[in-house]
Amino acid sequence: MLSEKEQSILSIRNLNIWYGDNQILSSLSFDVQQKRVTAFIGPANSGKSTLIRCLNRLNDFTPNFRFTGEILFKGTLLGASTDTTALRKQIGMVFRKPTLFRHSIYENVAYGARIAGVNQSEHLDTIVEKNLRKTGLWDEVEDILDETPEQLSIGQQQLLCIARALVIEPEVLIFDEPCGELDPIETVKVETLVRDLKNDCTLIFATNKRRQAARVSDMAGFLYGGELIEFGATEKIFTNPQDNRTEQYVTGRLG
Amino acid sequence: MNSMTPRAERKQKIVLQSIAFIILGIVFVGLWHALKSARAPSGQVVSEAILLSALSSLFNNLYIVLSISLVAILFGIACAFYLEEWLPATNWIRRLIESLVAILTGIPSLAYGILAILIFFSYADTLKKAIEAFPLPENIGAIPSQIETTVFYAEALTFVLMVMPLTIKTTQEALRSVATPIREAAYVLGASQWQVLTRQVVPIAFTRILAGGCRSMSRAFAMAALLVGIYTWHYTTEPGGMSGRFILFLSVALFLSIFSSTLIWRHTSDSA
Repeated sequence: MLSEKEQSILSIRNLNIWYGDNQILSSLSFDVQQKRVTAFIGPANSGKSTLIRCLNRLNDFTPNFRFTGEILFKGTLLGASTDTTALRKQIGMVFRKPTLFRHSIYENVAYGARIAGVNQSEHLDTIVEKNLRKTGLWDEVEDILDETPEQLSIGQQQLLCIARALVIEPEVLIFDEPCGELDPIETVKVETLVRDLKNDCTLIFATNKRRQAARVSDMAGFLYGGELIEFGATEKIFTNPQDNRTEQYVTGRLG
Repeated sequence: MNSMTPRAERKQKIVLQSIAFIILGIVFVGLWHALKSARAPSGQVVSEAILLSALSSLFNNLYIVLSISLVAILFGIACAFYLEEWLPATNWIRRLIESLVAILTGIPSLAYGILAILIFFSYADTLKKAIEAFPLPENIGAIPSQIETTVFYAEALTFVLMVMPLTIKTTQEALRSVATPIREAAYVLGASQWQVLTRQVVPIAFTRILAGGCRSMSRAFAMAALLVGIYTWHYTTEPGGMSGRFILFLSVALFLSIFSSTLIWRHTSDSA
């Protein structure tokens, strides 16, 4: 019997992705384990974003996108008949660039709850406060909840995006290079938050910063040229890589 | 999923544009023939007096112009939403309609006015024939009301051809102006397509959709003003009569056009 930690929440089997005639990813297979941080590293254009956007079916909006292979979420195969709206309520996502709606800070955080049908203001207040506290943003924005988020720094905006994503209480939270636009101090905040969130949900983390992946993740996969070169425990990937290319990448000689 | 190489896409685009061109060609040739056959046998019917009364009833009524163009605009906005949000970009029906729209928006509005008269008289002739075939005395008194219905159809058809394409084009542009990250940010929170549309896309695109609608209506009024003006100058010797209507229509057209430009200008300075 496997413990909760060992169970895989997402299984990818033989995944191939094309945009038109260009093959972006070829025959990927791996398992994402529950309540762990799984990082994907690799140079630019190695297919990290394409891969993680596939997990919550965000690629469906990309024209000429097509894939073969199997994606299993909690044992269910994701196919054409999958309810993508319900799926995305369980698999949240945070992007590289913080994209906030043109509402107040409060409404931005409450958005996820509102579309899920929560309308009572006391209930919304608790949800907003709880999630802003989780991200450590509450003290900074407590007095400006009704103002637009444009005045916040880019790092605060990203934390606000994470708070917004946490409102829907996702089982899996995907991060697509969340620190790509942040300065080092803000990056540390996000990384600490990612490590804390591990207790609540499964995290998938794409980054092109090798040290960052080493700091935050339990499992790591190295993507290069659309192939998953190596996938395993982070420690093993960074200290004892099996593949020559992985070794070259983690030591900084490749990419 | 629809997948296509850029080359195949280009090919499909060219084929559909040619089909659109041929369809419109057939429509216009057909209308031309309808006009010729409508005029030749009924020389006495299409007299100046009838032409005048037809025109005055065609485009002289502010409320008819306003309501029909409004309906055409709303219908155009609905069409644009369906094309842009529900059909994939590679869908051939969407491509075909976009090609038709591109051709129709390029035609000057006065040409559509002539089209309206063509449609009206081809209908008037069939009506007259129908009345001749069943010469009932009470039908004679009913002619004006039947002309009213043909007026309605002629105007509705013209506005569908003139106002709708421009509305479809401007609405599609407005919807496209909403950046993908905003949509994706809402989608990843589990919003349905309808929720993304009503809570994110429409509030952002609303100003531009409104501006596009105003521009289309301005076009309708400009056409009505031109037709009314031309026939006033041609058939009446003294100023007055329909020229007041001409000035009214022209001012409405100008007002709407300036209003729409102001909206666009404010919108771009807001988001910049």
